[in-house]
Amino acid sequence: MAARVLQQCVRTLARPSLRLSAANLAAPSAAPSAAPHRPVSFAADSRRTRWLGLSPVPSVGVLCRQYSDLPPLTLETIKDRVLYVLKLYDKINPENLQTTSHFMKDLGLDSLDQVEIIMAMEDEFGFEIPDGEAEKLMTPEEIVQYIADKKDVYE
Amino acid sequence: MASSAATRSAAGAARVVKPLFSRDLDEAKRRVRELYRAWYREAPHTVVMYQLDIRTCQGREKVREMFDKNKHITDPRVIDMLVIKGKMELQETIQFWKQKTHVMRYFNETEEPRATDFLSKFYGGNGP
Repeated sequence: MAARVLQQCVRTLARPSLRLSAANLAAPSAAPSAAPHRPVSFAADSRRTRWLGLSPVPSVGVLCRQYSDLPPLTLETIKDRVLYVLKLYDKINPENLQTTSHFMKDLGLDSLDQVEIIMAMEDEFGFEIPDGEAEKLMTPEEIVQYIADKKDVYE
Repeated sequence: MASSAATRSAAGAARVVKPLFSRDLDEAKRRVRELYRAWYREAPHTVVMYQLDIRTCQGREKVREMFDKNKHITDPRVIDMLVIKGKMELQETIQFWKQKTHVMRYFNETEEPRATDFLSKFYGGNGP
């Protein structure tokens, strides 16, 4: 069944004229589910409907391979991820968390709590933050700015 | 040792003593933070290596408790000494020189609640 789907995909890739059909992506997922019920006639029936229903390669020019690269960072995504990690921390109340809330003055955290937060950021973004610079990061806004500086994200 | 260090520092700022590692309080606090980071990262590996019956968050809470016990100290030499002892403990834990009992000594014994229904008392036995 999977081999049959792969054959169809290969055949659609080989026929560039059919790429112009604006088919939805649900069609190829529906096709394998119908396969076990009618294995014999599936190939015959689908030969006519397949060209209309199957979605081709998503876009003609852009390669669909990413080679395990991450999506590019922007200030917005960094801010979303930082706030998401902070909301998961159980000592922070998510209601009164904003980008400008100070960890010690507004949120009432300890210096060791701040160390834990910086370690969570290190785990999230995958690079080390040395302690000399980590002790100065006291608001989520500063953390976002620091990460943007380190990762060369344009403002 | 701690009391003599305290009297030396309490004798006044006029007396200059030889520092252990850090010259002022900020540097001592930085060492404390580094040690806390190392212990925090080590806690899940400790739980796995020694096959402890605790959750990782319980281990980390215990680390935090140990650090909070000495939160009030302001003398940099005392803080340095505590950091040195903490590093020794960390090395012994990482290198597996300790055993499960040594690690579990930090924790208090869990108290089992007394059995109330017949079957739990039956399983518990005829003890005191």
